[in-house]
Amino acid sequence: MSTQLGKVVSLILLERFGEYVETVGSCLFKKGICPLQHIRVYTQLPASKVKESLCILIKYGLVNYEANHNRTSALYTIQTSKILLMLRYPKYIRFMKTKFGDEAEIILEELLQSGYCTVSDLIIRTYNRMGKDDQTPTPLVDIRDKIEAMITARYLMRIKLPKIEEAVPELVRNVQDMYKMPEVELSQLSKKQSGEPNVIMKDTGIFWQINHDRFHEDMRDKLIESAIENKFDASAAEIIRVMLQQMYIRTEAWADTTNPIPILEVKDIIKKLHPNSDKVAFFDNYINIIEQDSSNIIRKAGEASGGSFQIQMKDIFTQLTWETIQQIVLEKFDSKAARIFCLVKNKSYIEPDQIQKMAMIPAKESKKLTYELLEENFLQVQELKKAPASSGPAKSFILFHIDLSQVVRMVLELCYKSLYNILTRRNHEKIVNKRLIDKKHRVDTIALSMKTQGASEEQLGDIDEMITPPEKEMLTVIEGTMRKLNTIELEIDETIFLLNTYLAYE
Amino acid sequence: MSASTSTDPLEDKIIDLAKEREKGITNQDIQKELSDIPAADWTKVINKLLKNGTLELFKDNNELFYRFKDPEKKGNLKGSDNEEKVVYKIIEESGNKGIWIREIRFKSNLNMTQLNKVLKSLETKKFIKAVKSVAASKKKVYMLYDLEPDSSVTGGAWYQDQDFESEFVDILNQQCHRFLQERYEDALNQGGGPLLIRNRSYATANDVHKFISELGISKIVLSVEDLESILYTVVLDNKAERIVNANGLNFYRVINRFLPSPGIVKTTCGICPVAHRCGETGQITPKICSYLTDWLKE
Repeated sequence: MSTQLGKVVSLILLERFGEYVETVGSCLFKKGICPLQHIRVYTQLPASKVKESLCILIKYGLVNYEANHNRTSALYTIQTSKILLMLRYPKYIRFMKTKFGDEAEIILEELLQSGYCTVSDLIIRTYNRMGKDDQTPTPLVDIRDKIEAMITARYLMRIKLPKIEEAVPELVRNVQDMYKMPEVELSQLSKKQSGEPNVIMKDTGIFWQINHDRFHEDMRDKLIESAIENKFDASAAEIIRVMLQQMYIRTEAWADTTNPIPILEVKDIIKKLHPNSDKVAFFDNYINIIEQDSSNIIRKAGEASGGSFQIQMKDIFTQLTWETIQQIVLEKFDSKAARIFCLVKNKSYIEPDQIQKMAMIPAKESKKLTYELLEENFLQVQELKKAPASSGPAKSFILFHIDLSQVVRMVLELCYKSLYNILTRRNHEKIVNKRLIDKKHRVDTIALSMKTQGASEEQLGDIDEMITPPEKEMLTVIEGTMRKLNTIELEIDETIFLLNTYLAYE
Repeated sequence: MSASTSTDPLEDKIIDLAKEREKGITNQDIQKELSDIPAADWTKVINKLLKNGTLELFKDNNELFYRFKDPEKKGNLKGSDNEEKVVYKIIEESGNKGIWIREIRFKSNLNMTQLNKVLKSLETKKFIKAVKSVAASKKKVYMLYDLEPDSSVTGGAWYQDQDFESEFVDILNQQCHRFLQERYEDALNQGGGPLLIRNRSYATANDVHKFISELGISKIVLSVEDLESILYTVVLDNKAERIVNANGLNFYRVINRFLPSPGIVKTTCGICPVAHRCGETGQITPKICSYLTDWLKE
């Protein structure tokens, strides 16, 4: 929870929910846990606006509340991590699209847009949306099956509902029903879809939201897979993928170390998936090299039934984090500094003299780089004082070392800062070029409406010419800028994901 | 170099003979004692011993004597006074690490001017020499004339006149990496399964040493240890890994990274040198940041 994070959060809220929500959100961020009265006084907003903002924030799961000690009023807390996750939505959506197809993309989009809703609502919204997008809508039953598949795969889960009618209702959820598909009658559904009033659905009151953790599991697995692919090759990655898949049968998703996975089981699956490939022929070889690798990815747990292996989730992420930090040092301070950083990492505690000798960097340069790294908090210094001797100058040793979790937190700050800068820059570009962008929108709308009215090519051409060539050029530049800023936003988020996962495992 | 380490039995015999007679031995003595050995052989040995200073030759009554010279007294300080002997002894004790003038002064209790004189005289007689240390450029250390300075004094192969040759190290670093890379690619082309490829791509420092020597990029002779330390820098650069086999030998192999460079360093902000001074207001703000502008224009 830093000022930097607060700034990013308020920018995101401003961008997606507008001014009032942003004010309330920032107030909650600054004040911590707050009752309604405080928020109202602090923000100087009318009570109705504050309430509305809080409703919106709670609806999207961005604010939690709990009762105060005599259970008369609610205390609100902001969920900064959830707000940051909103930047990851495009990734979730793309993910769903590759996994479940185009309908799933729209289903997820609709759900994210509304925060939570019932299955029947979701089906109808998706159906209508497909109709609007000039697609031939998928039959309702197919949409329902898709949603059922998503629920069974635990991408969606039921939300907590208020249990008792107290001043501050408690939110509860039946754990057994969390991923249970409710009954949805198709006949009722189609009646409702065609606009018949007073249709009562069976699943009224059962609301669904997305399960962030499940998406993160997938992102984590993808990350590990691609890491293995970079380090070894695609076949090794495929083996790890199957191992991870088998892991879920036996182990909790976020355990540090998985329970042993029998290797024969993995081999059988690989055989079925890729008969007669080198993955089968060299299966034992691959397991061998992955196991013997210095990065501790898998560890042999037992010899029974051909051997079983554990995946060292925590170690993998420690390794990946080290590498990321090293890369950052490399880009920020160049290769010599990266070498020093790596040396300090390998030796854990090291004297400055040894650094220059082992890293083979001239004394002066090595000193400069070491202290630069120290200044930017990538290295830490530990001073060892000798007990004061009776004679001679008092000597002390200076030892350099790295505190990884501290460095990770610092880099996270840097990520938030960059994110804030990117978002600010994007808003700024939008404001600066507002006139042009607005004009483009206007022209586009006119062209579209003319087209639907059946205007001739010539007329359309005339409208198109309302934007002059230099303006067109400007527009492509702006478009490029926006695209670049959007991509980098997602890429920074990837770094944040990796670092946060490391901290979660720690 | 000394006689006791020689493996030649003939040499030992002659040395023993010379040790027995303090006055020295003549050619006739040798002929008498070693009658079974041809003269040509022992003269060769005598010449060798004379050359390395184990025996010394002198003339008495028109006769040539060979006398055994104690290696400890080799540098006997002819014509030196007591001060010189004391200082010589102190310097001798320091071995090939050398000794600093201040410490000689403490140990010998001589005053500065006198010590300087003594040192100068020893230096001109070529009993001792002054060597500049790499640890501190102005610090001179003294050691016996015929000693090879320790690598901690000269800095080993990487120093030339107290200057660290970082370009040389960089080139060697690149070449070592290239060698390992080629090793790996060869192994990849040979195929034969991932395990075989991995095992074939390992190289020892000896292999690299051979390659570097044949390449001829180094003017000076590099030892295998020198290359071990170069290879360690390749490991530190995250381009290779080092494993130790059962015999205690180090093996090196190129490795690939797990991840492409992280998203954060793809922006200018991640690598910005003034990031901590950047804020909403002031001269450095994201709105007008020229680094960002340049990056967006790319």
